[in-house]
Amino acid sequence: MCRGGDCGTVVSVQTSTTPAVHATQLSKVYGSGSSSDVKVIALDDVTVDFPRERFTAIMGPSGSGKSTLLHCLAGLDKPTSGQVYVGGTETSSLSDARLTALRRDRVGFVFQAFNLLPTLTAWENIVLPLDLAGRRPDQAFADRIIDGIGLRHRLGHKPSQLSGGQQQRVACARALITKPEVVFADEPTGALDSKSSADVLGFLRRSVDELGQTVVMVTHEPTAAAYADRVLFFADGRVVGELTEPTADRVLDRMKDLEKVDA
Amino acid sequence: MLRAMLRDLRAHKGRIAMTLIAITLGVAFVVTTWVISDSAAETLRGRDIRGDVAVTVRTVGGGPELTPAERDRLARIPGVASASGVAFGYAGLVGQDGKLTSARPTLAGTGWDSSDRFALVAGRTPAPGEVALHERQAREAGRETGDRTQILLSDGRSVDAVVAGLFTYRPFAETPPSVAFGDPGVLGDRFTRVELVARPGADIDAIAAAARDLVDPALRTVATGADLAAQAQARADDSAQSSRESLLGFAAVALLAGMFVIANTFSMLVTQRTRQLALLRAIGATRRQVRNAVLVEAGVLGWIASTLGVALGIGLGLLGLATTGSDDTNITLSVSPTSILVGYATGVPVTMIAAYASARRAAGVAPVAALRTDGSFAPRSLVARSILGGVAVAAGVVAIVSTLRNDLSTTERIVAMGGGIAVWLGVLFLAPVLANAVLRPVGRVMSRRGGPATRLGVRNSVRDSRRTAATTSALMVGLALVCAFATLGSSITSMLSSSIQATVPAEATVVESPVDNVALGTDVLDKARSVPGVTNASADRYMFVKVTHNGSTSQTTMSAIEPGGVIRPEVVAGTGDVRRGAVVGENQAAMIGARLGDEVTLVLDPTTSVTTTIVGLHKGMEGRPLFYVDLAVMPAKLKATTVTSVYATGPDAAAVRAGIEAAFLDRPDVVVTDRDGVIKEATEGFQLLLSLMYALFGAAIIIAAFGVVNTLALSVMERTREIGVLRAVGASRPLIRRAIRVESVVICAYGGLLGILVGIGFGAVMNHAMMGQSLWEFSVPYEIIGAALIGMVVVGVLAALWPARRASRTDILAAIGTT
Repeated sequence: MCRGGDCGTVVSVQTSTTPAVHATQLSKVYGSGSSSDVKVIALDDVTVDFPRERFTAIMGPSGSGKSTLLHCLAGLDKPTSGQVYVGGTETSSLSDARLTALRRDRVGFVFQAFNLLPTLTAWENIVLPLDLAGRRPDQAFADRIIDGIGLRHRLGHKPSQLSGGQQQRVACARALITKPEVVFADEPTGALDSKSSADVLGFLRRSVDELGQTVVMVTHEPTAAAYADRVLFFADGRVVGELTEPTADRVLDRMKDLEKVDA
Repeated sequence: MLRAMLRDLRAHKGRIAMTLIAITLGVAFVVTTWVISDSAAETLRGRDIRGDVAVTVRTVGGGPELTPAERDRLARIPGVASASGVAFGYAGLVGQDGKLTSARPTLAGTGWDSSDRFALVAGRTPAPGEVALHERQAREAGRETGDRTQILLSDGRSVDAVVAGLFTYRPFAETPPSVAFGDPGVLGDRFTRVELVARPGADIDAIAAAARDLVDPALRTVATGADLAAQAQARADDSAQSSRESLLGFAAVALLAGMFVIANTFSMLVTQRTRQLALLRAIGATRRQVRNAVLVEAGVLGWIASTLGVALGIGLGLLGLATTGSDDTNITLSVSPTSILVGYATGVPVTMIAAYASARRAAGVAPVAALRTDGSFAPRSLVARSILGGVAVAAGVVAIVSTLRNDLSTTERIVAMGGGIAVWLGVLFLAPVLANAVLRPVGRVMSRRGGPATRLGVRNSVRDSRRTAATTSALMVGLALVCAFATLGSSITSMLSSSIQATVPAEATVVESPVDNVALGTDVLDKARSVPGVTNASADRYMFVKVTHNGSTSQTTMSAIEPGGVIRPEVVAGTGDVRRGAVVGENQAAMIGARLGDEVTLVLDPTTSVTTTIVGLHKGMEGRPLFYVDLAVMPAKLKATTVTSVYATGPDAAAVRAGIEAAFLDRPDVVVTDRDGVIKEATEGFQLLLSLMYALFGAAIIIAAFGVVNTLALSVMERTREIGVLRAVGASRPLIRRAIRVESVVICAYGGLLGILVGIGFGAVMNHAMMGQSLWEFSVPYEIIGAALIGMVVVGVLAALWPARRASRTDILAAIGTT
């Protein structure tokens, strides 16, 4: 039996050519089967790859299913059909305990806001996934991350004593501390001002460039998407376009085009 | 507005379920108490009142008994149909073990007659040579109809008689007798009272007046049956009322625990609804409307819970009466409208009072709070509360310290008790600050040692110290009471034991009556002395007497002992030599304001008193003789008849015991035991009383446990988002459950420890103020404390079951609510 934080790391075969995350024919349907009026198709047969050491942004209008995609990829939600591979491990068939271990050891998360535990200090929040796994942090790596977020002097503070931007940088550090296969960020700058947003996005960018991380970020801000290597455009539960080496302007143009098509 | 609130109430049934249970249990306790005492009064009323007697004529205490000639004269009063003499005399019912039953034999025998005094419940009327037994005594003696039983009579005679029947008894004022002889002559031809039955239509008052003319008013009392019935009724009501009052005391404690739970629940409900309340204020609800809405909500809740509580209470009351009913057949079940009314009259106001502070706080929500994303109150300052608590504790400590002496007057005793209560209340006020002071360091240590579940659980338990304190207060009150009485009980028990140990040598063989406080036969001491191997046999003559000192008189106890006998009072001042005067318990001396060298007068009975000088003080103890005097000063007529215990020693203790046992083998009125037996007997009844108290305080602890469940469940709901994040970053379900369990156990253990400490302290103060012992001379009830600690951990684990399950099932996506 696999209990609590005692589960071993989910073993997988990985080679440099396998993508960090890979989804095939992913569908997610809300509402019960028979009557088609109450059915909502959030994901419609999505097949997508997220290569290693790349920063991918997912954009789309609200209700397009981009957050659902992120949740299914991250093992927070179960797809109705299709497979998700995280670093070569198929996740949709895992038990809750194994899925929990996968999230803890091989996936990092950054949510929109308010996702630090108020009773823990910044440092304790950062090392929480390791703590849950019963592991000790790699001090050299932890130092790099902490210097990266620039909050060394505030590690002993509780979240309530930190600004929103600082909290979100702590959350980013928490996502990276386990050296995960992939970091999923769901509108990480949604609740932040532009200066704090730039800090957070800059840190995510550097984690890809300097630490070799893989980041998948859902956003609706073209300026945020411009930090990515690649932008996937999402509408009605499907990938409807892609842009590499984006700039804010190009992303905005593409969004306008999509809305035209939509209308 | 109101509708919005009530809808809200309905929408959150789960949240209020535990509050509902807390009020329901408290109300049920009150109603049960009421139903039981009502039924007890109704039962006595229905059974004990005799209608057959018109007038009674009875002897005035201690005077000569009525003669057959007087009876016959009374019978000739016009309008009297018959006059029967009723006699009561010594009858010792011997049980299957060959020893007397526990009923006092002195007036336990009477003659059978056909009046309404007796109601046969089995068998038939006893013929001469037979007896009928009171059914309760028969059960204790292990006798049924058809058995033969030995009955001791006065002067050491005894009869063997067949038990013809079993009866229940309707007394006027007397203790129901155990034995009714078929042959009334067994008790002699004198009567305790004469009962006159009137002819139909006769004037009862005229008969009473005629009877008064016939008898000497100094020696006889004449009363009508109606008056006696009314008096019996008043006594029945009194006893029901006093048992109701003592039970209601326990019910009040249960309700108090309920109030803490309710107050805490409402405080959390209001906190969780801050945004909703602010929205109401923003769209134009006045403060008063918001406050009243919360109060109405509390009222509705109280009303629902009271309804459930009344139903449960009636059910429990009737169930309780039905299961204990075998002792007294035909219990009248009585559910008065008052009992139902009392249920509502406690449940609704208690809930509303408990919710009032929260209602005020709700009214104080600023409309702008609706716009804030994190809808919560700024943490309220604990300063005022802590100052109040600190002042109460300080005042209490001063009151206790200033009354540390052992020789306290009544006022000083009250001051000491008041000090104890002040400290207790102060600790309740200080509970949040103490929670911070105690749990944070403990939490740090546990965090360093334990895993992530421990760390999270401990942190959460100190997160809101006000809430932790409120949750634990109910537990603390219940446990403190249990521990206080346990401490008092254990101190009294150990002092009784050590007092007996100091007074009675371990090797002494003790001879006593099987009936409490009943004198032994006049031959017992001499017979013990004549047993071979006995070198020293002496007696205790334990008596309830009055003492007069400096013109004021009070009740006390004394014993006349042989100087140089086996009994040696534990002397703390002066001498223990009773030949020189009285040796008095030090606390008794303090209570009557007497010192060494003072003269006191002991009043043994209205015609006998002994004046003596206090020459020594001993370590007195309630339940043991307070005044020891020389046997030589006792009037000759009392020397032999007042022996209550005989103590015998000799060079070979085992031979002494065997010899004495052989000598009294066939004596039902004598039991042979030793010092341990005396100690056991002295402490046994007391232990039983304590166990009963623990059971009654248990209700408060059960309510408090529901309070813990409630707080945890509401906390888990408040923390849904946090738990979702935890799950998302990799906390497994078992880890979430463990964290909640740790939180629960920490909260319960804190409440438990606080309760135990306060309880022991208060127990020591009670022991000091009520029993006149030194404050430090208390003994710690280790078993109860151990049981309480284990119990708290169990309560903690059980209380966490449901909230932990809920928490571990938190839907991650819904919790983090990103879309």
